[in-house]
Amino acid sequence: MSGGEQLVRRLPNDIGGLSAGPIERVEHDLEPWEKRCHALADVLDFRKIINTEEKRRGVEALGSEMVGALGYYERWIVAFSNILFQKGLLTPEDLARKMDEVAARHATPQP
Amino acid sequence: MTDPEHGHQHGHAHPHAPIGQESPPGYYEIMETAFRELLVERGMIGPDEIRRQIEVLDSRTPALGAKVVARAWVDAEFRRRLLADGRAACEELGISFYDDTRLIVLENTATVHNLIVCTLCSCYPRPVLGLPPDWYKLKAYRARAVVEPRVVLAEFGTVIPDDVEIRVSDSTAMVRYLVLPRRPDGTEGMDEESLASLVTRDAMIGVVPVAAPAGRMVQ
Repeated sequence: MSGGEQLVRRLPNDIGGLSAGPIERVEHDLEPWEKRCHALADVLDFRKIINTEEKRRGVEALGSEMVGALGYYERWIVAFSNILFQKGLLTPEDLARKMDEVAARHATPQP
Repeated sequence: MTDPEHGHQHGHAHPHAPIGQESPPGYYEIMETAFRELLVERGMIGPDEIRRQIEVLDSRTPALGAKVVARAWVDAEFRRRLLADGRAACEELGISFYDDTRLIVLENTATVHNLIVCTLCSCYPRPVLGLPPDWYKLKAYRARAVVEPRVVLAEFGTVIPDDVEIRVSDSTAMVRYLVLPRRPDGTEGMDEESLASLVTRDAMIGVVPVAAPAGRMVQ
C-alpha cells in the first residue's frame, strides 16, 4: 500500500491496532497552564461552544505532522483556536493581537 | 522528532522554573492565556469559570473510584445497581458527573478480565478517577491494548491465565468505562474503608489486580 493511501485510511488519531513499542509508564503532574487548558476544554463543552467530539476532530484536523510534533495540551489549544475561527467566533487577527499583548505583559516588568 | 505521539513527556524544550521564580511563558501558554482572556472579554465564558472548574478537577482522584469499588464489594445490592447504571450508582455516593457521559462498570470475575483504553484519544472516567496518566494517552498503550492485551498486561506485571477471557473496552466521547476489580482473598474481615485503601487507579483501568493487604498474602 502506498504511503498516501495509508494516510487516507488512518487519520492521525486512529491508531488502535497498530504496532508500537513497549509501554513506558510515564506520568507527570500537569503544569498550571495545562490544567487551565483542561478546565477550558470542560467549560467550552458545558457552554456548548466546543464539545468533546469537535475537540477530538479539531485535533485530528491538525494533520499528522502537527499531531506528532505538538504536546497534548498544545494540540488542544491550537485546535480550540481553529474551531472558533471556523465558527466565526474569533478571528486569527484577534488571537494574534491578544497573544502579542500577553507576551508584552511578560516582557516588561510589572509595576 | 523521535516519538510521533510524545504527548507531554518533556521531549521538547520548555522552561521548568521552580515555583516562585518567574520565567517567561512559552508560545502555547501565551496562546491559552490569550484565548481564555478573549472569551472572557466577549462574555462567552465567565471570569471565574476556569478557576472553578480547576477546583472540580482537583477534587477528582482515584479515591472516589476506590470508594465505589469497596462499596460494591461489601454491598451486593449496590453492586447490582452499579453494574446496571454506573453513573446513577456513583451519584448515590455523592459523586457528581460534571460531564455529559455515561459510565459502564465492567466486573472482573474468575473467568473474565477487563481492560479499558481510548484508542482515538484519551477518554477516561474523569469524574470518578480524575485525569488519566500520560501512558494512557500515549501511542503504545492506545495502539496495542486492543490487539495484544495479554502482552500489554504482562508489561504491567500482570499475567492473566490463558483460560481467562480478556475483554478490552474502547471508550468514546459519550461512553466511559470503569473496571470493578476482584476482591482479593484474605480480606474477609476488612471494613469498607480499609478495602478502599487497597484499590488503585491502575486496578480500575484494569492493568493490574488489587493486591492483598501486606502481611496477609494468601497463596
